[in-house]
Amino acid sequence: MVGKDVLVVQRMLGNKGGRGGMVTKLRVKNLLTGGTSDLGLDSGEKFEEVSMDMHKMKLSYIDGETFVFLDQESFEQYELSKEDLGDNAGYITPDDDFDVEITFYEGKPVGIVLPIAIDRTITYCEPGIKGDTSGKSTKPATLDSGYTVQVPLFCEIGTKIKFDTRDGSFIERVK
Amino acid sequence: MTIDVLCKVVDNYGDIGVVHRLARALAESERGLKLRLIVDDLVAYSLLEPAVDTARTIQDMHGWKILSWACPDDGSRAAFRQEYATDPPRIVIECFACGRPDWFEAMLFDPADSAVKTMVNLEYLSAEPYAVEFHRMPSLTRSPLVRKHLFMPGFETGTGGLILDRAFMDSRSRYSDAASRKAERRRLVGRLDLATPAGAVEFAGRFWVLVFGYERDYGRIVGDVAEFGRGTPVQVLVASGKSGPCFMEAWDRAGKPFPATRLPFLPQTDWDEVLVASDFTIVRGEDSMSRAALSGRPFLWQAYPQEGKQQLVKVRALLDGMRRCFEPASFGPVETAFTAFNDRLEDGPEVRGDEGILPLLVPDTVMAAGFSSFSDVLLGNGNLAGNLMTFLREIV
Repeated sequence: MVGKDVLVVQRMLGNKGGRGGMVTKLRVKNLLTGGTSDLGLDSGEKFEEVSMDMHKMKLSYIDGETFVFLDQESFEQYELSKEDLGDNAGYITPDDDFDVEITFYEGKPVGIVLPIAIDRTITYCEPGIKGDTSGKSTKPATLDSGYTVQVPLFCEIGTKIKFDTRDGSFIERVK
Repeated sequence: MTIDVLCKVVDNYGDIGVVHRLARALAESERGLKLRLIVDDLVAYSLLEPAVDTARTIQDMHGWKILSWACPDDGSRAAFRQEYATDPPRIVIECFACGRPDWFEAMLFDPADSAVKTMVNLEYLSAEPYAVEFHRMPSLTRSPLVRKHLFMPGFETGTGGLILDRAFMDSRSRYSDAASRKAERRRLVGRLDLATPAGAVEFAGRFWVLVFGYERDYGRIVGDVAEFGRGTPVQVLVASGKSGPCFMEAWDRAGKPFPATRLPFLPQTDWDEVLVASDFTIVRGEDSMSRAALSGRPFLWQAYPQEGKQQLVKVRALLDGMRRCFEPASFGPVETAFTAFNDRLEDGPEVRGDEGILPLLVPDTVMAAGFSSFSDVLLGNGNLAGNLMTFLREIV
């Protein structure tokens, strides 16, 4: 919470650590104004945490820019816009069956928390380079959800990968 | 304009050294600027700047106010209150995300104060690409009235650059001219009492190698300096600190093959002068490395060891920036030496490396031009103090 504004972290865009602490680049959404912005936040800054309700749901369907989720207990449906989901919108497909957490502020759904690690299949990338298993060099790859992430050079079209939904980083190849 | 500069000493003297240098450069860049330095370790500060009185929790120095981080519960608390009653904090430079003392935090976030405060977090120097990405980026505090931004020092265009304080630049200029260099060195040798008056000329005329690193076995470096010393009279200056006993032990073991002199702990301006007076420097820490790079002379940097050899990432980033200034053939030995010197998991008297510095010592005009060119690039990025003042004017 910043003054009267409630900010929700939509994405961790990267971080760097020094001897004094960590600076994290974040994309945040202001729930009152609806605006998003990128910020660099150092680890020493303290904020008042806003109490949010979390409800476990599954994605029901996607209607254009609207994502509809089904509460697994009440069977009520809740809608979130693509903008509400931020980059997370690019990580999920209508076929997904995993549970997600929908966050509520003052009774309204405002955001989504995905499982930290999810599996996706690469639908397009430049040809793989065999032998380069270091993972230090990367290339862009389009996932079956339509989103593009950076993957190691050894990945190929059809490779199933596990990646971190907090920052979009590659974790491992799924065998 | 009044600026509060906050500094917490994490370890050694790097943090307070940068803050003191920044204060000098800010005062030089802006006439009439009032600076208040809030520092948690006045003892460490006094070693770099002897004018600091460690017994006084609030004091004037060079026209600035120096305040102790821990506002004491005695008579000086009234002096703190008086200082801020008429001139509350409005512009704050928080160095290295050090946080704020409670008494300062209370003023900054005072609900009765509706004025906007501007805060800049001056981050650690790094050549890594994130320096450009994070430079001038908006940050957050818990109050919309306390507006914070990041400011990144750096080696690249698009960062805040390096601090170019007048004392350092004057020293650099005086020692850059070959004709005046010997005379300046003789004066320096006399002033720091490094040799007898009779020996000062010979001392000043040798090839100076300055050693300031972390603990390790310096046998390989001593061997290379000894080899180089067969053709050129060498004088090694061993800085106070962790590398001193290690270097002297290796030097002793090798049969004292060249003259080596232990330096006392030097105030910042004296240290800078020794550094630019030297022909080759081995330096640790970001601030001394930046001075060595700005000197335009060959140097070797030892980065602070981090888990999983993360220091190599920092070293490679610096090398990537330097590479553009060198002929490819002459850069190879530089890259090899930097990488070997930093390829270690931890420090200690037994830690050995394969750092061959002989190619960096032997006069090579092409390689020397590379170091000089890198220095020119850094100077071209401007003075961090001036860049910071420009940024503050934009955001206040």
